[in-house]
Amino acid sequence: MTLVEAVIHYAYFVMAGIIGLFFLKGLFKREKHKGLAYDVVYAYCIIPFLLRILFIK
Amino acid sequence: MSEENTKTIIETETAAPSPKKKKRIESNWITKSICLIVALALAAVAGKSFYDQRHFKETVVSAPGLTEIKYLSDYVPALKGTYGDTPIFVYDSGVEGGSVLYCGGTHPYEPATSLSAYIMMENIEVTKGKVYIMPQANYSGTTLGIMGNAYPKDFDIETEWGKATYKIGDRTSNPLDQWPDNFTYIHYPSKQSQAYNDLRNLNRCFPGRLDGTFTERVAYAIMELIRNENIDMAIDSHEASIMYPVVGVYVAHNDAMDIAMMAAMDLTSTTFDMKIEQSPGSLKGFSHREWGDYSDTLAVLMETPEPFIDRIVGPMTRDLMLTGQDLFLSFAGKKGLTYVPYELETGWPMEVRVGRHLSSAERLIYYMNMFFPEKEVQATWPGYNELVEKGCGAFLHNPEEADPELVFKV
Ligand SMILES: [Zn+2]
Repeated sequence: MTLVEAVIHYAYFVMAGIIGLFFLKGLFKREKHKGLAYDVVYAYCIIPFLLRILFIK
Repeated sequence: MSEENTKTIIETETAAPSPKKKKRIESNWITKSICLIVALALAAVAGKSFYDQRHFKETVVSAPGLTEIKYLSDYVPALKGTYGDTPIFVYDSGVEGGSVLYCGGTHPYEPATSLSAYIMMENIEVTKGKVYIMPQANYSGTTLGIMGNAYPKDFDIETEWGKATYKIGDRTSNPLDQWPDNFTYIHYPSKQSQAYNDLRNLNRCFPGRLDGTFTERVAYAIMELIRNENIDMAIDSHEASIMYPVVGVYVAHNDAMDIAMMAAMDLTSTTFDMKIEQSPGSLKGFSHREWGDYSDTLAVLMETPEPFIDRIVGPMTRDLMLTGQDLFLSFAGKKGLTYVPYELETGWPMEVRVGRHLSSAERLIYYMNMFFPEKEVQATWPGYNELVEKGCGAFLHNPEEADPELVFKV
């Protein structure tokens, strides 16, 4: 059970990384909502995922 | 500075286009890169604060009677090298007698608990039996503040030789150590359904299990410590908001009720008001319940008033943590809505809270000795009156001048 739990734990870190990359892609390459405000939102949303994969927060 | 940058970007976006043109600014890769750089700068500023909290160590100068340092990983090796491992300082008089465990930091956002453990360690003298002191029971929780709630990450105690800094941690284990949270929390082994956010709450995870979650393993290690060291009395210190009924109180396991009742009556008649409650059989996962049910120890939990964690307080500053003085809470106090007396002028200062814990623990041991002479422990440390008179700082030693072998980073 601890092994399964550890696998899930680290899988979530990987998922956090993927979501962070998704936001990064959204920031630079997106089809809709091309305004500057969306740039700010996409950039800002990267922060928590970045801190999580760096094991900081 | 980085926040200002973000603001400027938002302002230019809203200010630049004239309403008549109805044309939105199309961003280009330069503005996108600027956004990213600002976000990274913000992440760096926030990240430094979180990183510092994760890695900060508190300093303690032990009294000379220290005989051994144990770790939770001695009982559960799987905890070695994790943030669940935490030291237990052992003071063995060498004279046969009983043994007592004093726990601080089960909830690391209740810092009078770990500070009382440190002051106990710095000034303890044991002449009969053994005393085990675990200042940070949920070490993982100390590595995460509640900065999202605007909590400061630490506070200082003034001393003659300078400042001593202590962390204000979280209530639960750090998600870096246990994540994700399930949608439900089924307590082991009772199968009682509990609030999902108590999954990482050490004081809902006892007696724990070896193959459970990170927090359950820490809980299990504490149980193993109690069982393996034949701890006669285990005291779990806490702090509570004063609009919560269980405050200024002992909560005792049935086996320890006589002792806690005598201690409460004694304290109330001589030193300060202390209530007593019996641990309800149906409240699963708590130290006052499971420590007593899953070992032979006499389990008692203690709560001091901590206005800082009351829901209605104003600015959550270091001052509030140290003085407990809050204007909003004083209105509730005037209306009798608090479960301990509350006045703005007095508040609930740190030295009062630490002093209460130190004297409450001392009285428990005194009455354990009376009820169970074979478990006798003789130990001294400063009590309530000394703390109130001299403050916490008077009982902390300068690590620079102390014997380096007695200086520890926790
Ligand atoms: Zn607590």
